[in-house]
Amino acid sequence: MKMKKVLCTLMAAAMALSVAACGNSGGNAGDTQSAPAEDTNTAEDTSAAEDTAAPEETTEAEAPESDAEGEAQAETGATGTLKVAAVETAYGADMWNEVCAAFEASHEGVTIELTVDKNLEDVITPEMKSGVYPDVILRAVGAASGLTETFVKDNNLVDLTDVLSMTVPGESGTVGDKILPGFVENSICNPYGDGKTYLMPMFYGPCGLFFDQGLFTAKGWEVPETWDEMWELGDKAKEEGIALFTYPTAGYFDAFFYALLHESMGNDKFQEALRYGEGIWDTPEAQQVFDIIEKLATYTESTTPANANDNDFQKNQQLILDDKALFMPNGNWVIGEMAEAPRAEGFEWGFTALPAVTAGGERASYSFFEQVWMPAGAENQDLGKEFIAFLYSDAAAEIFAKSGAVQPIQGMTDKLDGDNKLYYSIYDNGAVAVMDAFAATEAVEGITTRATFFDPVNSLVTGDKTKEDWVNQIKADSDALRAALKE
Amino acid sequence: MEKKKKSGFIIACTAPAIILFIIFMIIPTIDVFRMSMYKWGGYTAEKTFVGFENFKKLSSNPKFYQAFQNSILLIVVVTLVTFCLSLVFASILSREKIKGQNFFRIVFYIPNILSVVVISAIFSAIYDPNQGLLNSFLSLFRGDKEPILWLGSPKLVIYSVAIAMVWQAVGYYMVMYMASMANVPESLYESASLEGAGRVSQFFSITLPLVWTNIRTTLTFFIISTINMSFLMVKAMTSGGPDGASNVFLSYMYQEAYTNSSYGYGMAIGVTVFIFSFALAGILNAVTKRDEIEF
Repeated sequence: MKMKKVLCTLMAAAMALSVAACGNSGGNAGDTQSAPAEDTNTAEDTSAAEDTAAPEETTEAEAPESDAEGEAQAETGATGTLKVAAVETAYGADMWNEVCAAFEASHEGVTIELTVDKNLEDVITPEMKSGVYPDVILRAVGAASGLTETFVKDNNLVDLTDVLSMTVPGESGTVGDKILPGFVENSICNPYGDGKTYLMPMFYGPCGLFFDQGLFTAKGWEVPETWDEMWELGDKAKEEGIALFTYPTAGYFDAFFYALLHESMGNDKFQEALRYGEGIWDTPEAQQVFDIIEKLATYTESTTPANANDNDFQKNQQLILDDKALFMPNGNWVIGEMAEAPRAEGFEWGFTALPAVTAGGERASYSFFEQVWMPAGAENQDLGKEFIAFLYSDAAAEIFAKSGAVQPIQGMTDKLDGDNKLYYSIYDNGAVAVMDAFAATEAVEGITTRATFFDPVNSLVTGDKTKEDWVNQIKADSDALRAALKE
Repeated sequence: MEKKKKSGFIIACTAPAIILFIIFMIIPTIDVFRMSMYKWGGYTAEKTFVGFENFKKLSSNPKFYQAFQNSILLIVVVTLVTFCLSLVFASILSREKIKGQNFFRIVFYIPNILSVVVISAIFSAIYDPNQGLLNSFLSLFRGDKEPILWLGSPKLVIYSVAIAMVWQAVGYYMVMYMASMANVPESLYESASLEGAGRVSQFFSITLPLVWTNIRTTLTFFIISTINMSFLMVKAMTSGGPDGASNVFLSYMYQEAYTNSSYGYGMAIGVTVFIFSFALAGILNAVTKRDEIEF
């Protein structure tokens, strides 16, 4: 009898809980909506089979001298299986298969297990939670999942400083010499500010203002070089019923904000601002930035905030194609994104750095770049570093460039042609490249830089927040973030 | 002896279900409670125990209160409106003789079959400030004034989400109410009309009391489904924007747990939602308790 009672209670509890537990499951929806496993691209099947045969043959032939063989292999790195995980972006997955095959071909006895997926986190997270990490990961900071940030915040990265002094496999120069200046010495690659490099720069693309060159030519307008000229143009365009500015989502203000901050403050204060320096937001230079964005909000196409979400942002980009707005901040991926979209007659993409704050002053363009890094839990660290060094070889760069992925390697821009040349030559035409981002902090619960710095732009445009509200929030959150800075 | 044998059989039969339930429901739930006491990024094995620190931070975070407010607003508004509409529609469709009854039944139920992504795409198109159905229609009365930003204004956006949620839910609850209304014996209505009771008083004195048990059940459903659906709607329609104005419980939890390296903090939000929805369902259940009417 007692047993029955216990059972009944248990089952009643089970029913009650199952109803309540539904309330919780929603939060995990993102996790379960992962891409189907078939999407995961494993190169292992294609290339591994042929290559693994080779070392077996050699061990048979040179069995007595196995020690010597071990030494010989140590020189070229090591043998074994290397796990590489890369996010699939607009460049596609093929280039990764090719690069891995090339690495295997040049490194005898090495097998690469490649995972390429659009939802990389969903694929590799389950294994990572059980302590099995990929050796090399390509994923940029700033992704919605915050994968890279989480590893930075947890101090979970392998120090890659020595990769810079490694010789590029098959070449004579070192990796450090080959990478364009500025791409390693920034707060993204040196997140802890201790002079050590933890993330290595990979594919980059300039961000700036995109516009319709055809419209400018037809109207006889000049692309503004200072913000004063920008406002003048804004008034002129208004008379014709064209707004000066729009933006896809408020998140696109990150590149815009960094570049504008750099223009206004110069590098030293900019670096201080990135470390949430005390009182930095009260300086006249910072106030100037806030003023410009506040004024820009009044020149923004009024329906922009309604479409400024992940679902509808292309409608805002369409405003440029339809000649309803003149400028939007974006990166060169927008051209591919809007390739199929209808456009105004005579439309031609134009691209410029931000206008200068003062006449003749600096004009900046933020350089977005992806990063490759190794989690501290990586097993094959030496081989992983060898692989990363290989990514900077001419052979690898060529494979990447075929898919449109450009690495910050000396002489790479000379090899580009067509549209790409226009975007990448922006720095040759006097624009300053800005590459840093806000310094790494311990995770601060409830505060994200996006929600603090960039999202309120929507409210500035609709008039639901004033500049003062925005700046006060920035100051308060900066205090919290400063206290959590990584030393 | 016989009794022992019987209970042994019962245990053997229910054991698989109970074991599965414990593994997939109870243990994860306990885990959520446990994780809410940790500071954890979510991707690696590194965790630090912080006690109730996450809850303390939660209680002083205005963004959480904003999400809380939005959730409560949705629970109240969506529940009230959906409840009234679906009751009225159900009683009309089951009591009145209208042409095309089945057609209306299907039309009302269709939104429920559609996936949330489709619904949000439909409503994004309706709410579009320039070419949207709603603004085009309103411009008949408003003229060429500035378009209304249904999803762009921080003040309006949550109501825009609420409308989409009501549209989605009405059919489902209508069908549930219709099912129990069909069980009410026709003779009651006949005698009532002989006594001279009108349609409205029949509804309030006969229909409503007799489907009350059903209504109580659906109230719990309303709470759970509003909390869940609002996350999906917000995620697909506004991404919590503009400026966080449409964040609800779970979208805020998702944002913190999966994009801000604050998994433990996210779980603390989960625990709060868990307790809140439990308490609310309990209160509603107690408040709506009536003596059951038999027929």
